[in-house]
Amino acid sequence: MRQRDGSPEDATLISKLLILFLCVSALMVAGCCTTATHEGMTPTTFETGAKNQKTVGVDVGGGKELDELGRTRISNEEFKKALLAAITKSGTFSRTVEGKEGDYLLSVMIFSMEQPVFGLSFTVKMEAGWTLKRVATGETVWQESIKSEHTATTGDAFIGATRLRLATEGAGRKNISQGLAKISKLSL
Amino acid sequence: MLKKLGYFLLLGVSLTVTAGCANRATGTLTAGVDLGKLKTFYVVQAPDDKRNTYQLIKENLEKRGFGATTGPELKPPYQSDAVVTYADKWMWDITMYMLELTIIFRDPKTDFPLATGNSLHASLTRKPPADMVDEVLTNIFNAKPAK
Repeated sequence: MRQRDGSPEDATLISKLLILFLCVSALMVAGCCTTATHEGMTPTTFETGAKNQKTVGVDVGGGKELDELGRTRISNEEFKKALLAAITKSGTFSRTVEGKEGDYLLSVMIFSMEQPVFGLSFTVKMEAGWTLKRVATGETVWQESIKSEHTATTGDAFIGATRLRLATEGAGRKNISQGLAKISKLSL
Repeated sequence: MLKKLGYFLLLGVSLTVTAGCANRATGTLTAGVDLGKLKTFYVVQAPDDKRNTYQLIKENLEKRGFGATTGPELKPPYQSDAVVTYADKWMWDITMYMLELTIIFRDPKTDFPLATGNSLHASLTRKPPADMVDEVLTNIFNAKPAK
């Protein structure tokens, strides 16, 4: 019988397989380089109460597209687009306006994002400070810190970067959903 | 064999270049908040804190001349001027090191964030945990109101 163990061909094959395994593993577990989109952060269903006839302007801060490790973050622009779309869809306010032109100004400050660096299931935790002010008087009518989290698994996306984006968008989507649900219960 | 080593070297260099020396230090202050009014802090010990980060935060605040106590999360209102919460992320690269630290000062009655600071140092720019805490708290106390 011919002994093949330890031949140069085997060593080459093993090293190629090892590199392939490393590349696939890196793709699977690491997340980087995609930005959370407003489409992914716009809720499709709402638990809102009464519909309000007032108008609102929206301001978002504290966000960024990517962090220093190249991980997905939520940019101010994308979160604002998602929030505006959600307000329109849910009817929480009659319509949205630019800046301080409306009856109310809703400011959302993204204070923290907890994201994993590696893993199979990615859980992203987010905290945003929501403040609703009456424009005419500058009075703060409601202020609350809203915490949300979302987990994306390999069943949602095999590639780590996509999985992290989905988890981040999910956390943003739930934050918007919870915030609007609370606003809809206010007597404005 | 040399070729194989070359691949690993390339992979290692790529990872180091893309992530190894990343770092960030930020601080954000909520509009209208005056941190100068805060004299006492209650540091909430995170349930999963196995490395006593809460103690480092308490000691650093005391070093800055503030009154600081620690304990578990309580139901507001807290008997202090601000509540401090934090999230620390650790990584392994030869030894364990603190990759990222976020500290938030909160209103003792409403839990609303007053200020937040964050530092991230990847492996090549790693800092001891006490230095990370010092950097984040310095960022918070030097923070400008959010726009």
